[in-house]
Amino acid sequence: MEAEQKIDFSTPRRQSRIAIGVILVKFLRMTLKILWPLLLSFLIGGRHNSAFENTMGYVAIAFGAINLIGSVLTYFRFYFHLEENAMVIDKGLLRRTHTNVPFERIQTINFRQNLLHQIFNVVSVEVDTAGAAKSEISIDALTKNEANALRDQIMTGKKHLTTQELSTVENAEPVAIEEEKEALILHLSPKDLLKVGLSQNHLHSMGIIFVFVFSTMDRLTNNWEEQMTNQINQYQGYVPKSGLLIFAIITVLVLVISFLFSLINTVLKHYELSFFIKSGGFKLVRGLFNREEIAINKSKIQTISWSETLLRHLIGLWTLEIEQAGSREMKQLKSKIKVPGCYTEQVNQVIKTTFPAAYYREEPRFQVSILLKYRLFVFIGVIPFLLAGLALWTALGWEVLYLLFWLPIVGGIVHLYHSKRSFELNEELLRNNSGMFGRKHELTQIYKVQAVKIKQSWYQRRKSLATVQLFTAAGRSVIPFISLKLALELENYLLYRAESDKREWM
Amino acid sequence: MTSIFENLPVDAASLPQVASLTFHPIEKKYLRVSLIGSTIFWLALLLSGAIFAAFSDIENQTLVYLISAAGVLLLAVGHLFFIRAAFKRKKYALRGRDIIYTKGLWWRVRTSIPFNRIQHAELKQGPFERLYGLHSLKVFTAGGAACDLVIPGLKEAIALNIKDFILGKTTLDGSGAED
Repeated sequence: MEAEQKIDFSTPRRQSRIAIGVILVKFLRMTLKILWPLLLSFLIGGRHNSAFENTMGYVAIAFGAINLIGSVLTYFRFYFHLEENAMVIDKGLLRRTHTNVPFERIQTINFRQNLLHQIFNVVSVEVDTAGAAKSEISIDALTKNEANALRDQIMTGKKHLTTQELSTVENAEPVAIEEEKEALILHLSPKDLLKVGLSQNHLHSMGIIFVFVFSTMDRLTNNWEEQMTNQINQYQGYVPKSGLLIFAIITVLVLVISFLFSLINTVLKHYELSFFIKSGGFKLVRGLFNREEIAINKSKIQTISWSETLLRHLIGLWTLEIEQAGSREMKQLKSKIKVPGCYTEQVNQVIKTTFPAAYYREEPRFQVSILLKYRLFVFIGVIPFLLAGLALWTALGWEVLYLLFWLPIVGGIVHLYHSKRSFELNEELLRNNSGMFGRKHELTQIYKVQAVKIKQSWYQRRKSLATVQLFTAAGRSVIPFISLKLALELENYLLYRAESDKREWM
Repeated sequence: MTSIFENLPVDAASLPQVASLTFHPIEKKYLRVSLIGSTIFWLALLLSGAIFAAFSDIENQTLVYLISAAGVLLLAVGHLFFIRAAFKRKKYALRGRDIIYTKGLWWRVRTSIPFNRIQHAELKQGPFERLYGLHSLKVFTAGGAACDLVIPGLKEAIALNIKDFILGKTTLDGSGAED
């Protein structure tokens, strides 16, 4: 990387001019997001009233003009610069705000590019702070060069800060500002991308589509059901009368649509995904229209998990998730990074570079109690069966016994779940295993644990069982239904490790 | 006694035991605070029900209201008894390096937070707590709110002491200067 031509950020400066366009697009999208059901219903409603259309035209023009003026002003009122130990942003149209973020609070700096950014070769810069969302900073558009220089200068300043602190304790290590060594560990080729897209959880997309369709219908008109039946009635003559056939056609259609949806979604989101190892952590670049560059700090990583579905298992692909210490607001999705297609060796590589490699090994597995299986069987299998049987008794009579098919299904699933639910522990890592048809593994570095909970229900107390929950800055993991003795030992050991370890934990 | 975890360098069974600690109960007076709060809630419910009944045009409003009020009253009494029984389960303990709080009648929960993972601690006092001179201690960790801790019903002196103790420990353990 050539950060040779040193860019001076010490005086307040504006963003790249492209920012006007970027802000404008942002504004327009915001207004459209709020108003689109309204607009759409006007369009569909097809009220051909010229006076009405004229007013609508004026309103649209006024909206556009306000947005344009707003974005130009926003651009001219936005300044940023670097002070000795902090990044400063001055902005605001009517109410000026002055934001000062010390380097030590800055976690990572991420770049993002939408289509407009890509055309003009600029990036938007998002500065991720560990604190509240209020102190979040972003810059809408900077040239790639500027953005890289800014990031380098902040990161060097940050490093300098920490080495200064250390040097008071020990003799200063030479401040070797290592040039960023990046090694590519994963690149999703179009073929890989296709595999990932094909093996997505299509049921999930189906759910999303259903929710979307129904909620929009509801927002558009209140009587869409009526309109729908009217529409369908028009075509009654052509539609085959057999209900079963219609059902089959709809099912196939829904399947195809959700399949396409998840495929397209995957391609858009993960297009040309590249995953790099850097000296201090990882870097992820991905996306077609919205190109994102996300940096992950190694020391901030709390847990790493990798999971597969049955379909993925056949291809040998894992979904890798890296969770960083999140901010309280939990809105920062950046704190969790998901790589949808990873082979086993890459998963291993990521884990070994993040956590002390020697501790990443097989350990004796502790299975959760068999009573969890029976308990789940009763709650998901037997009780719903009895309730449904009672409810349908009057309608079906003895035919309710067909519902018995539910029991072996639940039995099988619960059995699979129980057989995969286990945990492994050594002095550095806790590995939590779960899954039903697929499997999921989750590694937590235990000295980073910041709270331990032991929970016991009335039933668990009778059976001398307990559920352990451990919390890190990124979230929690749960180990259900283990013997009380084991739970207590786990609790004592986790607390001992968290309290006796002096390393940075976030 | 040896540990179940045979692979650990430290015998986990010989570590300090959380479970065998002696826990301190919170102030008895806090029971009254919870009872007052819940009584007010149920009374407000009954009152709003009465107002609703008075203005509605259901047949036999008084009868319907009385029957449902009796149901609500039953629930309220049950709730108050539950609060009383659950109150005994609210206990806390402090150790050299962590703070522990237990609660729950049906679901028993014990939460332990090491001092060196605490971000921030504060005292809070609601109107009824003020009446009885009680404070709640809130302990915050990084990340989500799921693992934050609230210990209610502490006397002012004790609450302040604990808070200062925690904050002192937090900075001490966080600095990494000792060892």
